[in-house]
Amino acid sequence: MLSKNLFRFSGSLLPGLLIAGGFLLLASVLLYQLAAQPDTLSLSLGPRFLKILFWSTVQAGCSTLLSVLLGIVLAWALSHRRRFRGRRLYVAFLSSALVLPTLVVVLGIVTILGRSGWINDTLRWLGHSGFEPFIFGFSGIVIAHVYFNGSYVARTLLSRLESIPAEQHKLTRSIGLNAWQRFKMIELPSIASTLPSVSITIFLLCFTSFSIVLILGGSPKFNTLEVSIFEAIKLDFNLGRALGLALAQLAICAVLIMLGSRFSKGNQLISVPSGKQAAWHDSKMLVAIQNLILFIFAVLFMLPILAIITDGMAADFISLFTNKNFLTALLTSLIIAALSTVLVILASTLLASAFTTLATQQRLGSSRLSQPLLKLLGFSSTLYLAVPSLVLGLGFFLLARRIGGEQNLWAVAALLTSNALMVLPFAVAALAPAMVKSANRYDKLAFSLGLTKWSRWRLIESHLVRPELAYIASLAFCMSLGDLGVIALFGNQDFITLPWLLYQKMGSYRTDEAAGIALVMLAITLAVFLLLPGLFGNTKHKSHWRQHA
Amino acid sequence: MLSLQNVRFAYPGSETVYDFSLQVTAGEISCISGRSGSGKSTLLDLIAGFQPPVSGAIHWHQKDFTHLPPDKRPVTTVFQRNNLFEHRNAIDNVVVGINPKVPKQGHDVERAKAALTTVGLQDYFDTQVTLLSGGQQQRVAIARAVLRDAGVILLDEPFSALDQTTRAEMLSLIRTLTTKSARAVIMVTHDLRDCEAIADSHYVIEQGTLHGQSIN
Repeated sequence: MLSKNLFRFSGSLLPGLLIAGGFLLLASVLLYQLAAQPDTLSLSLGPRFLKILFWSTVQAGCSTLLSVLLGIVLAWALSHRRRFRGRRLYVAFLSSALVLPTLVVVLGIVTILGRSGWINDTLRWLGHSGFEPFIFGFSGIVIAHVYFNGSYVARTLLSRLESIPAEQHKLTRSIGLNAWQRFKMIELPSIASTLPSVSITIFLLCFTSFSIVLILGGSPKFNTLEVSIFEAIKLDFNLGRALGLALAQLAICAVLIMLGSRFSKGNQLISVPSGKQAAWHDSKMLVAIQNLILFIFAVLFMLPILAIITDGMAADFISLFTNKNFLTALLTSLIIAALSTVLVILASTLLASAFTTLATQQRLGSSRLSQPLLKLLGFSSTLYLAVPSLVLGLGFFLLARRIGGEQNLWAVAALLTSNALMVLPFAVAALAPAMVKSANRYDKLAFSLGLTKWSRWRLIESHLVRPELAYIASLAFCMSLGDLGVIALFGNQDFITLPWLLYQKMGSYRTDEAAGIALVMLAITLAVFLLLPGLFGNTKHKSHWRQHA
Repeated sequence: MLSLQNVRFAYPGSETVYDFSLQVTAGEISCISGRSGSGKSTLLDLIAGFQPPVSGAIHWHQKDFTHLPPDKRPVTTVFQRNNLFEHRNAIDNVVVGINPKVPKQGHDVERAKAALTTVGLQDYFDTQVTLLSGGQQQRVAIARAVLRDAGVILLDEPFSALDQTTRAEMLSLIRTLTTKSARAVIMVTHDLRDCEAIADSHYVIEQGTLHGQSIN
């Protein structure tokens, strides 16, 4: 019976399993490259390593705590204010934090909080001497991490809070619970199951943070393992140390992921939010507090973006767009982003399809194989958290050195793989619930009509999951366009991307050119992320988009 | 007696204007039926205070509560689903109806235990509600409704997801509690057999108004 079913659903299962297996195999080969190097053993767990570990942990802990607290407060305020002018745009901007190029935002934050930043300029204009810059060092790293991750937490929790059933709202009103009691009785439980996994994800992202720490770290004291790996390769030319650090990071991330998986109850992917929502009826005081929270966050969120726009507008665009280096970087970035998008769409569709086949009862959900295979798919789609881009890049670097061949081709392969793995956790999380929903709704009909494979995809899935695919495409394109990870290892005079060029300009204090490049990157990112899904046009897609935006 | 006098309501952007008039005596059960979207849940929302009427008045024993907030009304509602706080046990879910601080001991907890005993759940005080069957979960919701001491109990298709046997038990329980505690019960249902089983009167909503008849 099982073999018959396996054969019946092999078309939707096997390609996804092959992709998952392929990613795991690739990761294993790259890791083997690290582990097999004779220099690896030169790592000593001396005070320098322990110091890196200590500051990485403290920094990631503080960033996670503050991001989660900010995210909860913001999601709470936003879930209570269901109707106000510009709410959709507000939520869309919240989502865009995930795709905003890190370097661009960091530049914006420095423009606001730096020694000659907007705030100090304003204070001096008012007759105050200004404050000592605190943006370079521990506080700067935490501020930048909270900027990105606070928005991400808020967006994630907002979906949970908005899926509280209307009856529960009515119930709390009819019983007469106050705001705190309502939060305790229905809002906190609705987000409680999400908090551990979200917190661990953010901790890992901050623990392995690269671009932010590289720019805002100020001194080696606050280096993460990821930045130390970069410095060991690029500055110290000490491959043995880099390998040791990479393996240490891998071990720590793997332990954290295993610990994290103990907290998550069931599979978060298959929870489909309910559509019916009810309005809260808060007191005027509470509404004022919520509006204040939303206003303050909007100002803090928009300031770095406004700074980039203002400074960028002053750049010499004629000179920029006639500069060969810039045009090469722009073209390379667009091509890499487009190829990454195709790769992500393909991989996430196949993974989500396999996930759907294994997670739904009418297919293979009740078979003995489903749970272990689901775990394999889950691990494969979140591989990036265990193997961050610098470690991945280092693996490719060693593989290139061993096999030989054109260095730039290896760089492209490393970039595409890194980009795909970076976007996959978000892509699969967006697509799988939609495909499960579609399967639960149409499987019986499709089975009875004999619709299979392409005809089924054309009639059902291509229509129902198109908004999710548009979202994933925009996500993949933007994240790939703005990432400074692998390129920091492979970047050279012949192979440059926009983030790499921006990093070079920032490093050489060519602020006007940096501002111009940052504005171009920001414009492309926002245009693609906010407009691409809208191009799908009809109202159904727009309503689906609202769930993501 | 619960009395609705020309309680009018319209959703923004909709042309349908509801105009409800209804009387239910204490100790009586009134059944409401009608096609999907006819306004059955709207009627309950107006009585419970989840929607504000445009005009008209709602009284309980001659006291006007048309403009009171939901928690100040002599009304309690049992929904078809999502009646309970899933992360809490049965006692917590009942006691929250009279004490939002959800105490773990004391007079209120004893009252909650008594209410649960009334609906036959004396062996499930500390059981997390997700571990209870559908019928038992609805009993917890009914126990809370009974404990709240509200004169009017609104039942919004509360038994539609239950099997026939459990459903019959629940209907019998509602009948007993209504008679014993002299509440006015309004039950929305699609199943006319439910009406025949326990209702004293039956109203149908058509074109935004109630058309009624007495059964017993």
